Amino acid sequence: MASATRQIFKRLFSSTPRTANTQAATYPFSKTAILPPLPTKAPTEALRAGKGLMQHINKTLATPEKKELLEKFFSRRSKNQLQPGSIVTVLQDQAPTQFTGVLIAIRRRGHNTSFRLRNILQRTGIEMQFFVNSPSLKEVKLVRAPPRGRMRRAKLFYLRDAPSKMTGLAGGKK
Amino acid sequence: MLRTWTGARQRIPAVCQIRLLHNSQPVSSPATEASTSKAEPDAVVEAPKKWTPQSKRTGLIALKRGMTSMWNDQGVKFPVTILQVEDCQVTANIKTPKPDHTVYHAVQVAAVNRSPKSVTNQMQGHFRKAEVPPKRYVKEFPVTSDAHVPVGTTLSAIHFVPGQYVDCVAKSIGKGFQGVMKKWGFHGLAASHGVSVSHRSAGSTGHHQDPGRIFPGKKMAGRMGGKQVTVQNLAVVRVDTALNLVYVRGQVPGVDDAPIYIRDAKKVMDIGRHNAAKGKEEKILPKGVDDLPFPAGTDSLAKTLPPIIEAPAYRRSPFTPPE
Repeated sequence: MASATRQIFKRLFSSTPRTANTQAATYPFSKTAILPPLPTKAPTEALRAGKGLMQHINKTLATPEKKELLEKFFSRRSKNQLQPGSIVTVLQDQAPTQFTGVLIAIRRRGHNTSFRLRNILQRTGIEMQFFVNSPSLKEVKLVRAPPRGRMRRAKLFYLRDAPSKMTGLAGGKK
Repeated sequence: MLRTWTGARQRIPAVCQIRLLHNSQPVSSPATEASTSKAEPDAVVEAPKKWTPQSKRTGLIALKRGMTSMWNDQGVKFPVTILQVEDCQVTANIKTPKPDHTVYHAVQVAAVNRSPKSVTNQMQGHFRKAEVPPKRYVKEFPVTSDAHVPVGTTLSAIHFVPGQYVDCVAKSIGKGFQGVMKKWGFHGLAASHGVSVSHRSAGSTGHHQDPGRIFPGKKMAGRMGGKQVTVQNLAVVRVDTALNLVYVRGQVPGVDDAPIYIRDAKKVMDIGRHNAAKGKEEKILPKGVDDLPFPAGTDSLAKTLPPIIEAPAYRRSPFTPPE
């Protein structure tokens, strides 16, 4: 078991530089299979026995760019973390390619973290939930921070019944 | 690439043809050809066995580790269950002759090492004969005669190809003693309008003096869950041999860390076999799958292949508007 892990470690990390973790071998059982880049963390004996496996997977399933995005805007330790009540713009590949709204909820689930933006367009309230690790999510930009630095709630679902408060937030009431 | 199966079937070495005359099995079956060619390894050079649409491979025992979501190359989010193959080894090859002169073939697989202290003497002897450490879970998978795997072989997650479909068998989560509304989906009685003390009850359980009894099998309250459940046709989306993981799209019965018995999806393989008989070569295996490791995906095979393999989406993107 230890020799198997050592062999795998050698195969993954021996000659390739740290940044280029691409897989060179071909897969004969499926021509259209994707060979994604390998994670930088080597598999340990504990992981092969299932200890701490889900946490490891949640950390390594995302690409490095996505991990940076998660860490910058959604990690509680980050200086730039998004606070509920801020105005945020999201740029994505799919339609709508650009969406701006009030951040009313952040759902922290590691790899499956998502957030909700609310806006009123053409007299219709529109809420959109964006998953941070989605490949179609390109950019998240903070337009304006919440008034007085933070709101008194983590989830601003009361804004659904208070359009005046929405306009207050949009208007930038300090 | 798919056509090699139809070619291989007609090739029976001349030395083996003499034995076939005394064999009770029909000449043209691939089972006969495989067994006779195995019987005389010196006379015939053993070519690596290839999967045929008539073959049935062994399954694996894995542990359900948890669930997460993934995004495919089209940007579609889908749930995945992560199954980890841990110490999965072949402990026996079963060949039982049946009363109708056919032979039942199976591969017995065992997984998850355990301390010999907690294993009975009988099982210790069984594992000693197979020359494997004592295991926690032992399961037999029916196969065709050409799909036997040498005893002691360590099976790996590479056994499954991303893009193929599998059936997952496991014990469902136990729900304890449950009422008829949860257990059988009964509607119960009205919440008000005079109903006394029986809002969630079953109501009537039968007729009157004739038959004067409750029919056996009447749906009633009782223990729910904790039974074997098979979830069919789950797509394998990713295989990771570094951690021995099989990512399967969808839900799998049971709790985390429970054993799951994974095998190739019966219904999908049956359709493939039917298409092969009809000559539709492109529809034998699911889209994107060219071949399957045969007789099994072993640890040694995994070392020669890339450690992480993922399947792309094999359908049109739901984000592009249809014509």
